[in-house]
Amino acid sequence: MRGPDYASIRARNDSAWLLPNDGDRAQHRLRDDMRRHDEDDEVDLVVIGAGAGGSVLTQRLARAGWKVVCLDAGPFWDPDRDWVSDERGSHRLYWTEPRQIGGTDPVPLGSNNSGRGVGGSMVHFAGYVPRFHPSDFRTRTADGVGADWPIAYTDLRPYYEQIEQELPVAGQPWPWGDPHDYPHHAHPVGGNGDVFLRGAAAAGIEARVGPVAITNGRFGNRPHCIYRGFCLQGCKVDAKASPLITHVPDALAHGAEIRARCHVSKILVDDATGLATGVTYLHDGLEHRQRARAVAVAGYSIETPRLLLLSASRRFPEGLCNDHDQVGRYLMVQGAPQTAGRFDSEVRMYKAPPPEVSSEAFYETDPTKPYKRGWSIQTVSPLPITWSEHVTAQGHWGEVLREYMRDYIHWSTLGALCEFLPQPDNRVTLADEKDRHGLPVAHFSYSRCDNDRQLMAAAQASMETILRAAGAQEVMTVQRYAHLVGGARMARRPEDGVVDADLRSFAVPNLYVTDGSVLPTQGSANPALTIMSLAARAADRMIAAARTGLVDAERTR
Amino acid sequence: MTGPYRAPDQHGLTPQGRGRFPGFDVLDEVHRWDMVTAGVVLARLAPPVELSFFSLAENACAVALMDLLLGQDCEPRVPVVALIDARLAADETDGWHYDDMPRDRDAWRRSLAALDEDADDLAGRPFAELAREDQAALLQQVQQLGADGSPWRGLRAEHVWGLWTRYGCTAFYSHPWAWNEMGFPGPAYPRGYKNRGVDARERFEVADSFDRDPVPFAQRVERARARHAELVRRRLGHDERPGDHEPGGGSAA
Repeated sequence: MRGPDYASIRARNDSAWLLPNDGDRAQHRLRDDMRRHDEDDEVDLVVIGAGAGGSVLTQRLARAGWKVVCLDAGPFWDPDRDWVSDERGSHRLYWTEPRQIGGTDPVPLGSNNSGRGVGGSMVHFAGYVPRFHPSDFRTRTADGVGADWPIAYTDLRPYYEQIEQELPVAGQPWPWGDPHDYPHHAHPVGGNGDVFLRGAAAAGIEARVGPVAITNGRFGNRPHCIYRGFCLQGCKVDAKASPLITHVPDALAHGAEIRARCHVSKILVDDATGLATGVTYLHDGLEHRQRARAVAVAGYSIETPRLLLLSASRRFPEGLCNDHDQVGRYLMVQGAPQTAGRFDSEVRMYKAPPPEVSSEAFYETDPTKPYKRGWSIQTVSPLPITWSEHVTAQGHWGEVLREYMRDYIHWSTLGALCEFLPQPDNRVTLADEKDRHGLPVAHFSYSRCDNDRQLMAAAQASMETILRAAGAQEVMTVQRYAHLVGGARMARRPEDGVVDADLRSFAVPNLYVTDGSVLPTQGSANPALTIMSLAARAADRMIAAARTGLVDAERTR
Repeated sequence: MTGPYRAPDQHGLTPQGRGRFPGFDVLDEVHRWDMVTAGVVLARLAPPVELSFFSLAENACAVALMDLLLGQDCEPRVPVVALIDARLAADETDGWHYDDMPRDRDAWRRSLAALDEDADDLAGRPFAELAREDQAALLQQVQQLGADGSPWRGLRAEHVWGLWTRYGCTAFYSHPWAWNEMGFPGPAYPRGYKNRGVDARERFEVADSFDRDPVPFAQRVERARARHAELVRRRLGHDERPGDHEPGGGSAA
C-alpha cells in the first residue's frame, strides 16, 4: 500500500483541507467569497455541468490560472440543509426534467443514473471507483467487438493514481487488470459484504473489499464514514466523495465561478469563424449569455448530446459537431442484474455503505465461452423502496409482496455490471415533446444485442452460485441497467466520433466534451473514476496547448 | 425517551397491525435524527389534505387499486393514494417516461379510467364498487396482459403495471409504519451504526419474532401465495356471490 503523501496531494488539490472543520458540511465562506464574472467578460472557459468531468476540469484549469465559469442546471448543494437520510426524500438529487425512453429495452433514467446540481451524479452514486482494465482500451483489436480507444491504458494511469489520492479511495490491494494498491485501507464490512466474501470463498471465486471513494480515517477536514447506509441519498457526513467536496472547494479557492441553477440552452458558434463564442442559459426564467474563448460540455450522456443537437446553426444544420451523424450514438448502459439471497440469519444489509465488496474475476473475455467480454460483481444493499422493486419484479403484489418485504432483514443482495457493447442505434435524439423551458426533450432509444443477453444470463448465474455457496435458501433476480456512457465518443477520425484523444471536438476547435459521453467502451467498471481521470488528462492537454495558442485550429493533434 | 409527544395508541403501529418485530418503532429514535430528515419523515404522518390532483371518482378507483396492490385490507392503512396525489400535484416524476406512454399524470388518469371501463364492462359499475375478488381478477388480467407484452385499452399493460407499483411502493415504503413492519430503523444520521455484520443488532433494533409466528419463511410465503391465489382465482363474469354489492368490497378474505 502506498502511503498517502498529503503534501503532494495538497499541492495539486487542497479541497479536503478547505472544508470547514467545525461540523459544518459546506464551505459557506468560499461560496460567499466566490469570484464573480461579468457576463460580458470573455472568460477563458465556460464549463457546462459541475459533475465528475466538469468539476475536475474546472478545478484543474482554475489552478492553472484560467478564468473559468462553470454553469450547472441544479442547486449548489449544502449537505446539512438540502439532503436527508431518507430514500423518498432524496428525489431532488436526480435529474427529473422530462425525458423519453424507447427501443426494445428502454432504460429508466432519473434516480438510476442521472444527477442534478453541483457534484452531479456522484452525489448519489454508490461510491465504487474501480479502474478500467488495460484490455478495455482495445476490445476491437483483442476481441473483435466494441471499439479501440484513441488512447491506451498507460495514458490514463497517472491520472487514475492522482484521482484515487484526491477522492481518496479505500480498498484492498487490487489483483485484477493492472494490479495496484489504494491510498486508504479497506473498510470493515457489514452483513452483506460478509455474505459475499464467505460465498465467494466457498465457490472458489476471488473477491476483494473495495474500491470505494469513502474516507477510512480522516482526510483533511473530511470525517470518517459512520456506516449509515445512505450513500445513494447524498453523503451528509462528507465521507463519500463527490466533486462537491473533492474538487469544487479548490476550484473556488483558485478563482473559478460556479453558477448554480443555470440551465444552458445553446452553445453559440460564429458561423464565419467556426468557433464557439459562449453559451446562452436560463436562470429563474430569464435568458442570459456568457461569452467565452472556449467551451467544455460536461452534461453527461443524455444532456450533452441533447445540447449539441439543440445548438444547430447555419454551419451545423444537423446539430453542433454532427457532420458525421455521430452525436448521440453509441450510448451505453451496463446490464446490471441484481440477485438477492435469503438467509435464516439477520443480514440487515442497510447497515453499512452499499458499496463494500467486489469481484472482477469475470471481467475479461473467457475464450471457452460463446460471448465476448465479461462482468463484475459488487454488493448493492437496496433500501426498502428499492427493495420493493426486487419483489414486484417477480410479479408479486398484495399479500405476497408484503410477506417478502417483511422479510427484508434476512436478504443479501449482489449486483453485476455487464459490459454491454456500443451500438450506433442506441442513441439520443430530440423528441417532439418540450420541457418547461420550451426546449425539445431527449429521447433515448436502447436495445440489447445477443452478446449482451448472454452476459446478463451468465452474470446472474455467477451471483446465484455465490449466494447459494454462502447458504442462501432462495434467490431472486431483478433485471436492471446501470450507468450511462458514450453518446459523444472519442475517436481517431471525425467519421467515427465527436472528439479526439484530447476531448477536443473535431468540428469546433475550441469546443470540448469532458464527461462520460466520450467513452468508446465501458468495461465492467463503474465509470466515475475514469470520467474524472479523463477530465484531468484533458485539462493537462489544454494547459499545454494554451502555451501555443488555444484556438489554433491548425495545431497538430 | 425524548422527542415529539405521541398519544399512547400511536406507538409501534404497523399497516393492518401486521409485522414480525413486536414493539419496534422507528419513531422512538426521532430525537437522534437530524432535523431536516425528521421534518421530511414526520410530514408523512400528517393527516391527508384534500385532494389536489385526483377527482373524487379517480380517488375512489385509486384507493381500491392501491389497497389491493399493497395488501391493505383493514385499518390502520398507510394513506398511499393521498401521498401519490400530492406527488402528482407537484408533478414529481422519476425523470423519464416510456415513449409509448403519456407523461405520468396523464398515464395515471387514463389508467384509472381504463380500470373503470373494465369494471363497467364486467358489472356496469365503477371499479371501486366491485367486490374485492372482482377487482383482484381485473388487476390480475392487467398484470397478465403486461407479462404477455399486450396492450390494454390503448396503453402498454406492462408499463401501466410498472407505473402503479412504482408509485404505490414508493409511497407505502416511505412510511414509518411500513418500516416498523419490516424492522428497518429508517434515518441514520448522525447516529450511524456501530454493530454491523450478520446477526448483529443495535440496541434499538428488534429481533425478528420467531416466537410470535413460528413458521419458516418458505411456509409463510406459501401461505400468502395460497391466499393470493384464492383471491384472484375467480374467473371474470361468473355469478355474483354474497358481499359483491358491498361498496369497496371492504371485507378481508
